Amino acid sequence: MSDNREFIEEFLVESTENLDQLDRDLIALEERPDDPQRLASIFRTVHTIKGNSGFFGFSKLGALTHSGEHLLGRLRDGKIRLNDRVTGTLYSMVDAVRSILHSIESTGVEGEQDFRELAQTLAAVASDDAVEAATPAAPPIAPVPSSAPAPADATPAHTPAFTDAGPAAAAKPESTVATDDAPQAAATAPAVPPPARSAAAVHEPAKTSPAVTETSIRVDVGLLASILDLVGELVLARNELRSIETADPALEGVIHRINTVTNSLQETAVKTRMQPIEHVFSKFPRTVRDLAVSCGREVQLVIDGADTELDRTLVESIRDPLTHLVRNAVDHGIEPPAVRASLGKPRTGRLSLRAFQESGQVTIEVQDDGAGIPVEAVRAKAVSRGLVDADTAAQLPDDRVLQFIFEPGFSTATQVTSVSGRGVGMDVVKTNIEAIGGTVDIASRPGQGTTVRVRVPLTLAIIPALVVRCADERFALPQTAVAELVSLRADGGPRIEGLDSASVIRIRDRLVPVVFLDEFLGLRPRTACHDAGTVVLVRVDDHEFGLVVDSARTGLPQAAADGAHAASETATLSTIVVKPIGALLAQLGIYSGATVLGDGGVVLILDLRGILRVAQLPPLHRPAAADGRPSSADDGETYLVCRTGSGRRIALPLDSVARLERFGTDELQPVGHRQVVRRGQSFTPVVDADSLLGCPPHPADDGTIHLVVLDERRGGVGIAVRQILDVAPAESPLQPGLAGSGVIGTLAVGGLATELLDLTAAPYRS
Amino acid sequence: MSSPASLATRYCCFLVGDNCFAVASDSIAEVLRDGRITRVPHAAEAVLGLLHLRGRIVPVIDMRRRLGFAASPPEAGRTHVVVPLNGEFYSFLVDEMLDVVEVAEDRIEHPAAAADPPRDAVTGVYAAPGRLVHFLDPQRIVNGLEKRRDQVLHRQGASHGGT
Repeated sequence: MSDNREFIEEFLVESTENLDQLDRDLIALEERPDDPQRLASIFRTVHTIKGNSGFFGFSKLGALTHSGEHLLGRLRDGKIRLNDRVTGTLYSMVDAVRSILHSIESTGVEGEQDFRELAQTLAAVASDDAVEAATPAAPPIAPVPSSAPAPADATPAHTPAFTDAGPAAAAKPESTVATDDAPQAAATAPAVPPPARSAAAVHEPAKTSPAVTETSIRVDVGLLASILDLVGELVLARNELRSIETADPALEGVIHRINTVTNSLQETAVKTRMQPIEHVFSKFPRTVRDLAVSCGREVQLVIDGADTELDRTLVESIRDPLTHLVRNAVDHGIEPPAVRASLGKPRTGRLSLRAFQESGQVTIEVQDDGAGIPVEAVRAKAVSRGLVDADTAAQLPDDRVLQFIFEPGFSTATQVTSVSGRGVGMDVVKTNIEAIGGTVDIASRPGQGTTVRVRVPLTLAIIPALVVRCADERFALPQTAVAELVSLRADGGPRIEGLDSASVIRIRDRLVPVVFLDEFLGLRPRTACHDAGTVVLVRVDDHEFGLVVDSARTGLPQAAADGAHAASETATLSTIVVKPIGALLAQLGIYSGATVLGDGGVVLILDLRGILRVAQLPPLHRPAAADGRPSSADDGETYLVCRTGSGRRIALPLDSVARLERFGTDELQPVGHRQVVRRGQSFTPVVDADSLLGCPPHPADDGTIHLVVLDERRGGVGIAVRQILDVAPAESPLQPGLAGSGVIGTLAVGGLATELLDLTAAPYRS
Repeated sequence: MSSPASLATRYCCFLVGDNCFAVASDSIAEVLRDGRITRVPHAAEAVLGLLHLRGRIVPVIDMRRRLGFAASPPEAGRTHVVVPLNGEFYSFLVDEMLDVVEVAEDRIEHPAAAADPPRDAVTGVYAAPGRLVHFLDPQRIVNGLEKRRDQVLHRQGASHGGT
């Protein structure tokens, strides 16, 4: 009947939580076997499940937990001592209970699995250290059933500590033990618990358990979501209300109150989405313990910052990636005790999980003090897999080599043995974390351990945002990706340089590729004038690019989630409520959602990663294994591609270029046997690209010279070319070229063979 | 109406161009007039933009374009027929709401459906007195858009691929 169904569901939820607690308690008990409070807590949990299963007629569950309870009773009474066999058996029981609960949840019945053997083991373990006289046959466990429903238990007089514990059967462990144990335990040992011990055990549960049940209730997540939606609606209505001019002081007062209440309501409602990361961390003591046992490691798990809160949907999404990292650390990071001892390290490895909030993001560190990642092995593996050629690999710094671990398929079965197995499935970790807008970093020092740092946004639903205007439309950008705003002005300051397909902006000493948002979205032809507007510098993963828009402002005067009313355009940081736009539009890959502003208007949120992908921008300083790119045999460098006067296609490493300029041929001034152009107070020496290549220069017919000015390390020389073509990564390894021709070799950039200038040659050295 | 109740379904009729279309009234969440639409660059042509509907963001599909008619003049076609589909909502923008008809299943003719847009969403036709009612399958309306979206993405990739 349906009533019953409802109770069973509640029982399932409660029991599942209890089992998590049980895992934690058992681990704590292993560390301090004599902790009577811990034992009492465990006992109580098992007893509760037993009582409830009897109530609902789940006989297998009842029998199993009865055996467990019996074992725990013996433990508590000091009849047996805690050892590996006891804890192992108890863990098996927890797992068995879990699988039965799972079966009940999905099928409504206990399932076909037979746990009688386990029940017998429990009974056997329980009687182990008892009277040596042995217990020839551990009595088969009778299904416990209906004789043991909790309410039937008499509450003995010596449990005053429980009487105020109120809810349910949970709170009467030792009394039940006394009665239930009797029939079965009689054969093996006296069942009467020493009163002193059980009294001590009772205190802790009395103070913790009821507190939780009394101050929290279960609420359906969908219900919370719809409350949030309604609050969002209310905020919009409030905004409209506020815009009404009134001379009536009474009405004004009411509007003011509604305003205040709405703000508080919104803040409170948003908090209901948050959940402590504890919900993920709480599983790890058990995971680590099991892994340590099966891998023969000794591991001390240190958890810090478990109360750090983040959006409940994110808590779920980081569960698997974190579990993976923790597994890796125990399995492949921390060495076996003997090895550690021989290295002069403590036998017990230390695995630390740390969570903390930092600038609108949550950082989670998984750190071990194990062997670290063998960088050279990773380097070799990367070369053998063709991810990078041997010469380039040899020059890559260690931290960049480590990035190969995130390369899809980098870890294979053979790799597990040859490269210590570290990094198994790291590409999946990275993919999953990035899917929720997060990042993963790895650092490792041989012999000292590895640190993986995962950063995720606090919430997916509410983010700080920057709203930009472009061609009369508004768009929102996640503020976490925005590095800098640059105003374009006619009178100096940064300018957009380059041509057509290869526009860049020079920010201090870097050239950053730009995307014209109007053109990219097809709103209108590219901004004709580069002297007005704003460039939003955006950092996504390893990439940096500029988004050219008409104007940008941090915050929104009346953003849906913006509590404070700010009428000015200069409002500071603001948050927006991210709403899904549906599969139809999400699949375009350039919008991550939409939001509703205070004026009721809908604004699209740009997916910067998606724009990067579609626009195919080259990375600025790309680690060899950049995200999402086909791992072709390129060397990871980005090149500026130009055409010389004679029509040759040449490339220069982008990071050697200081700026791009344009001059008229008449501005060239001869100085000795060289030519220079004047730029402000200084002169830039100019060499023609063709003459570098050993060809005669071809003067431009239109009287214009494009100058690629190299950075100071290379003497600030300007190389005159006919046309700037592209900024792109190489698609092939460098093929060595002919000596003495001014080129190092040839590589494929933008699908065409391109000669790479030899910048070490003499003309560049001043 | 006194048609055989067992097999009759109620349909909401509306005008698109000069034609009468209908969807099962069960499938409609609500009908509203007006509403500010935010356009979505690079979306399929028939997707007019996004509508804010009590906290939800709803894609608006211009039924004129979706069904192969000339685009609506700005002053016409401002009625949103909001339909829930697979946990999401879509708005079908139509010219004008008409009446609700109750039609028995066996009175509907099912001509072979066109495989491609714009007429792929028409699942049946019913000759009512004085007019022809075309029945639409909301799911197919949206599916047809996805087909076209692929083409859009393709175009987009081509136009930006060079940068």
